[in-house]
Formats: sequence, structure tokens, C-alpha cells
Amino acid sequence: MDDVLLSVSDFVSLTNQTLEYAYPSVAVVGEVSEYRISQGKWVSFKLKDAGAVISCFAGVYQLRTPLEDGMKVVVVAAPRLNPKGYFNLNVRSVKLVGEGSIKKGFELLKAKLEAEGLFAPERKRPLPRIPQRVALVTSTESAAYADFTRILNERWGGLKLEVAHTQVQGEPAADQMIRAIQYFNQQEVPADVLVIIRGGGSAEDLSTFNDEPLARAIAASRIPTLVGVGHEIDHSLADMVADVRAATPTHAAETLVPDRAEIIRAVRQQAHSAGQLLLQSVQQYRERVREQLEGIERRVDDQMARAEALLLSTRSLLAELNPMKVLARGYAVVRGDPKVGSEIMIETEKQHITAEVTDVRQK
Amino acid sequence: MSDKNKTIQEKMAELQALVNWFQGEDFTLEEAVGKFSGAEKLAETIEKDLSELKNDITVIKQRFDVEA
Repeated sequence: MDDVLLSVSDFVSLTNQTLEYAYPSVAVVGEVSEYRISQGKWVSFKLKDAGAVISCFAGVYQLRTPLEDGMKVVVVAAPRLNPKGYFNLNVRSVKLVGEGSIKKGFELLKAKLEAEGLFAPERKRPLPRIPQRVALVTSTESAAYADFTRILNERWGGLKLEVAHTQVQGEPAADQMIRAIQYFNQQEVPADVLVIIRGGGSAEDLSTFNDEPLARAIAASRIPTLVGVGHEIDHSLADMVADVRAATPTHAAETLVPDRAEIIRAVRQQAHSAGQLLLQSVQQYRERVREQLEGIERRVDDQMARAEALLLSTRSLLAELNPMKVLARGYAVVRGDPKVGSEIMIETEKQHITAEVTDVRQK
Repeated sequence: MSDKNKTIQEKMAELQALVNWFQGEDFTLEEAVGKFSGAEKLAETIEKDLSELKNDITVIKQRFDVEA
């Protein structure tokens, strides 16, 4: 092409066209250095390995995880020659690689979200004890989905479950889940609970659940959230921002609904306790009536005893007043007009005597 | 609302209210037998509902692999 004379601008444009054609998108692995954020909007850093270094540019919104110098990353980018003559990578996405970097990225993002209060216990909303409408975000092709629905059907009935099928690992997964969360949150009548589940996997498989926009979408959900990801030992940022964390998808189903067998037992117990309370009340009433009858009986007995005592004393008094008893003591009753010459009748205990009055004197 | 239209939760709340009535100040022996009979029937209905009800699971058609 040395016979074609190009301006510098034309050359830069031609180079970019060639790059775009030959390498529309490249994935480059390297270590981050000289990481900078300008005006809160633009990110620049160098990507290097032992033999080379290249500049990278991105918008802040394109980074789904905090970066730091020394982290190992895979950058998906378009190579570009800018008009000032610098070659760089226009970053589309950055993914942490290597255990150390993934762990570091997790810790940085965790600290950031924690500082914003997204894990605060006071933000956590309780789930309804028995939800009626549940929204589920998961892959319907996964074992986690099969386990979750099996346990749900075993434990409870009458539930309306709407499922959004999304990927749960790989690069598109986080955005798909975010869209599903937004879909459910935009429903006119929202579900009672939003459940997000995924079975166990490698740290890299589960790293989707440490995605910052996904964590923020879960935290922003107006529907209370229940997240069950991975195994019991796995902790993701999605778990931490959720209102309720379940250790596994199976545990999520167990947390979501009560066991119908337990409820049936409790209901039977309630009906039984009503019967017991009724029997207790009948017993209490009987006791009270019995006590009242005993009280009446006692009062009647008292009155009788008092009447008997009165009768006895009256009879004894009457006995004392009996004239025959006076006669028995040697006295006599005299009847008739006590005038000299009159005849009078004298009654002693054992005799009736007729006598004549011969003398009457005043005492 | 007729008994048929009540949800299990509403029936369970009703049963709880009946049990509470037995412990409350409104309790009278005259009403208690009727209330107990009602509680027993309600418990049977709840048990039947719980045993028979199935979950309604729908995978929604909306796709999330592309922006809406």
C-alpha cells in the first residue's frame, strides 16, 4: 500500500477498520495496574503480564465488580488506536480470574455494599408464614429447580408459583436474573415472595451471585426476597442482601412454606384443645354448682340446728313452768273464795282436798 | 364470604379465633358446645384442604435472555 498516500487521520481510521474486522472482540487475560477512576464515570488501567502492557478504558457502569491493582482479570474488549496515537482496549466487560482475585473482588464489593447498609438487619423483611403467590427466578433445567418444586409440592398446596427461566451461571446470567427480578417487581399485583435459587457449583459458577448489579437488584426488590444458592458453606452477596437466606434450594422450599403434615397436627391439636377447654369449663361449672349446693346444705343444717336448740331450751323452760312440778315440790293450789265459812278446794301433788275457811287475816 | 371461598390461612385464623374464644371473657357454656362443634368441623375442612390442594406452577413465557 506504499503507493497510496494516507493522512494520519485516514491511517488511524483504516487501522481501526482493520482491527474491527479482524478482532471485533478479544478476551485478554492479565494483571491490573495503575487503576484509576476519572470524574466518577471513566475507568482506566493497564493490563500487563511479564512481557507486555496495554492500556484499557471503560465506563464505570461496565464494571460489575470493584477492581484493584494486582488483580488477575479477563478483559473482553475491542482493540482501538485512538487519534492521539495510543493503542488501547475499549473494555466491554471485566471478569475476575484466579482464586485470589475472585476472593479479593468479593471482599471489596462486600465492604462497599456493607458500607451502604445493604446487609443491615433492620432492612430485612419477614416472609409471610404462608405465601399465596410466589415468584421464582432460576433455570428450569436445573436440578435445583426440580428439588425446589418437589419439596414445595410435598410440603404445601394451593400455592401459585410463577417461574422465570434464566441462566444461573455464565456471563449473561446476572443480567437475565436482573430482568426477571424487574419483571416480577413491575407486576400490578406483586408476588408475596421472590425466590432466587441455584444449586451448588464451583466458585466461578457461583460468582454470578456476587455480581454488583444483581445484588443491588435483589436489595431494591419491593417483593421480599428469599435466596438459596449453592451449598450450605457457600455465601454470596445475593444471599447477604436478600431478606432471608436459605442454605440450599431445598432449604429455600422448606423456608418458604410450612409442612402440611405439621399444620394438620397443629390444627388437630387446636380442635383438641378447644375440646379440653370445653371439658375444663364444664368441670368448673359442676364444681361451682356443687359448691353452691354444699353451701345451701350447710345453711339449712345451721338453721335446723339453731331451731332444734331453740326448741330444746323452750321445752326445758316449759317443763320448768309446769304447775305439777311445783306441786311435786310440796306446794298446793287453792281454789275458791277465801272468806270465813266458804268452802275451798286444795290440790296437792297427789290429793284434792275440800276444806272450810275458818279464819282469814291480812299479811 | 362463604366457607368455600375462604383460603386455608383464613380458615386457620378462624380456628385460632374459636380456640381463643374458649379462653376469653365472652365464653359461655351455652354457646361452647356449638363453638366446639364448629372448631371440629373447621379442623376437618382445613385437613381436607391441605391434603387435596395442589400447587399451580407456571413457567412464564417472557424471555429474559434479551432486553425487553
